[in-house]
Amino acid sequence: MSERVDSESTDTFDLECRNLARQYGHFIAVDNVSFGVPQGDFFSILGPSGCGKTTILRMMAGFDQPTSGDILIKGKSVLDVPPNRRPVNMVFQQLALFPMMTVAENIAYGLVRKGLGKSDIAEKVQSALDRIGLPTSGDKSIKQLSGGQQQRVAIARCLVLEPAALLLDEPLGALDLKLREHMKVELKKMQDQFATTFVYITHDQSEALVMSNHVAVMNEGRFEQIGTPQDLYYHPDTAFVAGFVGDSNRWHGKVESLDKDGVKVVSADGVELLATSAGDAPLVQGGEVDIFVRPESVVLSIDEDRVSTMENRIDGELISILFNGANSRALIRDRRTGGELDVALPQTGEFSSLARGQHVHLGWGMSQAKAFTAKNTTAGGAQ
Amino acid sequence: MKLRTSAQLGLFLLLAPILVWLVALIILPHADMFLVSMREKVALRTYEFSVANYTEFFTEPLYWRTFARTAIMSILATILTLLIGFPVAYYIAKMLRGRLKGFLFLLCLVPFWVSELVRTFGWMILLRESGLFSGVLQWTGLADGPVEMLYNDATIMVGLVYTSMLFMVVPLVSTLDSLDDAQVEAGYDLGGNAFTVLRQIIIPHAMPGIVSGCIVVFMLTLGNYLTPVLLGGKDSLWFTAQIYTQFITRFNWELGAAFGFLLLALSSMIIWAGLKITRQTFTETMGEA
Repeated sequence: MSERVDSESTDTFDLECRNLARQYGHFIAVDNVSFGVPQGDFFSILGPSGCGKTTILRMMAGFDQPTSGDILIKGKSVLDVPPNRRPVNMVFQQLALFPMMTVAENIAYGLVRKGLGKSDIAEKVQSALDRIGLPTSGDKSIKQLSGGQQQRVAIARCLVLEPAALLLDEPLGALDLKLREHMKVELKKMQDQFATTFVYITHDQSEALVMSNHVAVMNEGRFEQIGTPQDLYYHPDTAFVAGFVGDSNRWHGKVESLDKDGVKVVSADGVELLATSAGDAPLVQGGEVDIFVRPESVVLSIDEDRVSTMENRIDGELISILFNGANSRALIRDRRTGGELDVALPQTGEFSSLARGQHVHLGWGMSQAKAFTAKNTTAGGAQ
Repeated sequence: MKLRTSAQLGLFLLLAPILVWLVALIILPHADMFLVSMREKVALRTYEFSVANYTEFFTEPLYWRTFARTAIMSILATILTLLIGFPVAYYIAKMLRGRLKGFLFLLCLVPFWVSELVRTFGWMILLRESGLFSGVLQWTGLADGPVEMLYNDATIMVGLVYTSMLFMVVPLVSTLDSLDDAQVEAGYDLGGNAFTVLRQIIIPHAMPGIVSGCIVVFMLTLGNYLTPVLLGGKDSLWFTAQIYTQFITRFNWELGAAFGFLLLALSSMIIWAGLKITRQTFTETMGEA
């Protein structure tokens, strides 16, 4: 898919890739990828490990050369520009701070290379330290900083150079969960503060969804879909996106009948489901489809009347409650087929008395179930 | 209480081999050597306490000039070994992957399967007047007559660098191996060129390896006997050769022992100065490399 994020003309893009491809021997790591990142955007490339996202980033930074295609920064091709002259900077997965230099020297490294005056550098370094909330840590060694502080230094070290875009290669991967949650917010704040374009690589969908203005979902070297986080979540173009972004209940089945409103599918274990057609590939009578339903789209009720008006209904019994505060889930077994469903549990207290084995009724509307033509490749990442 | 004494006994038994080794093989011989160096033969089998051996060293120009020459040549050999060994080590550690890496590393080791004596004779076969190089030069017409390449300082230097190379490459490869590639890439990414990345990132990281390699190479070179004597002939003027002469040829153990102690003092002093200049500590260097 080679749609652009915005319909504006190309020269408003800070960073653009045109038909980018990279092949290692017979292995195609990146396959004909095109996209543009507008000024000030937080753009994420989301995909499972090994999908080629790091290769794209390394090609933009200049550490790898594309087999074909072009990379433009501020409208100019940079294919012939070595990494040290490209106006983009990279935050590495393991940060790659220089351990033999102090915090201030790390931040000053790029400025010294630019040939700035001593007082100029000192001033910029101090202002960067102030902005990342470490005003007095300039003389400390890198080892004295915590993981989150090192993270901020690694980003500040790049941002003082005022790059056209900052490339981030899963920089939160090395942090523990609590700090990762905190750094998501912090990163977003830093991006606002420095008003720089961010290109962010991650395999963690929540990082991509929380921070980004636009997300590209990548799989096996190709972009499956580019859009806002809301687009990807509510209107996935492909079965892979539906499965990879967010959690879903999934059925595999055959199309029994088809009209303009929707599609009637019989799943492999004999459940009849009504769904709406989604994705680019048109559904055909008798064709194999994958149906995705979000856990929060399913209404859970003890009373059958509440779900009686919904197109899809299931009688089930509670297997267990997966309590996780506001994100609590109920695991329900379909009484007829034995299949398991993941259902969001509203925290209104209504369900606090649910007991294991209790009879419950599930229902969801036809529009909440999205049917995609099944591909031979199975989409990964769904629960 | 019983447990404590048995633990102490265990510790003592564990330490015993190294204590025996230290005392019997290092401390005792050196103490004896020191006593020998501090006496003077006044008559047959009659010795007196004296510092005459040390004063003789400073008053006889041949001795202290040989001494200075040995030190300077050793420092030069160490620097040359570092300059040649660093790119080799960098290539092995950072540019190669997998089997080729192991193979090249092994290739550095291969010469050491042959004794130093045989290796040095190998050089002599190549470099002597009737040797291979001389023959090739004559055959190609670059030289009119036989060329003698042995018995000069340059040849000694070649031999010393060749002998020392492995001891420089091994610690360098191990420190460079631990350098994260991302550090080098970050160095470039932030605007550095090859020179600044080398000076600001690679060399500071490799410093413990550089220092420990240099210490080992310097000590080996300073104490080398075979290479300078065989390749430099009787003009080699290497200080270890002087010590050998005093002990074996002149049978002047007193002066020989004094020379031995001066060599020990010299090597310790130069290494101390080297560590001071590079702002490294001995424990740090030996711990990391």
